[in-house]
Amino acid sequence: MSATASSGRTFPGGLGYLRPPAEIELGAYGLDLRGRRVADIGAGEGRLALGAARDAASVLAVDPDRGALARGRAEARRLGISNVKFSEGAAQSLRLPDASFDVVIFSWTL
Amino acid sequence: MVDALQEAHRILVERGVFVDARPDSRVSARVRAKSARGAVIGTIGTQRLTKMDDTLSDRAVRHVLRRKLFRSRRQGRLWHAIPFEDIDELNDYLTDHLRFSRRVQWRAPSGRRTPPLFVERAVRFELLEKRSNDGLTSA
Repeated sequence: MSATASSGRTFPGGLGYLRPPAEIELGAYGLDLRGRRVADIGAGEGRLALGAARDAASVLAVDPDRGALARGRAEARRLGISNVKFSEGAAQSLRLPDASFDVVIFSWTL
Repeated sequence: MVDALQEAHRILVERGVFVDARPDSRVSARVRAKSARGAVIGTIGTQRLTKMDDTLSDRAVRHVLRRKLFRSRRQGRLWHAIPFEDIDELNDYLTDHLRFSRRVQWRAPSGRRTPPLFVERAVRFELLEKRSNDGLTSA
């Protein structure tokens, strides 16, 4: 694999992705997600959301594309991940309560 | 874009972290030969409209920083490589791409464009920490 962070460290991972694998991108952020409530806005099929779910307490994946959300749910089931929810919505008008997340991710969203 | 950033601010707890990650259109993608660490044999620019969109996104982030909704905590960049079996596959990919220019600017003669080819693109990210809600009312 070929993804490196600005630190110059090379992250392991597979080839064939059009976007960086979640472990590489999340690793580059350097965030400790353990026990955190994470919102992935513009999540698509949940590439990052499913990766974040390994450490986070809970992850909400929001995207306007119902088809992508359905594929994400199916992948979560396949992987046995139960702390990710997929929800339809747009970044500009989130139907979510105030102050309800510790981390909000816009990856390839803005 | 500013609306989306304000929504992110609203749903975050105090001192919560917002991550903005996007392809870095300020840096041309690099085409490497043979391996993901191989010689750079070409570059791929970004389409003009996409660059304009990216500039607007940058402006929106600067706007919420100016309004003191967030403080910048960390910036960085990662590189991501996409493999292609050969030049034909790469050209097909570029034909439909929304961000990349349609053509590679080759830096090496055709004899050195040995497959597989790897397009290495930059993704930049910034971590912003939520400041108090005061910024929203005082702006």
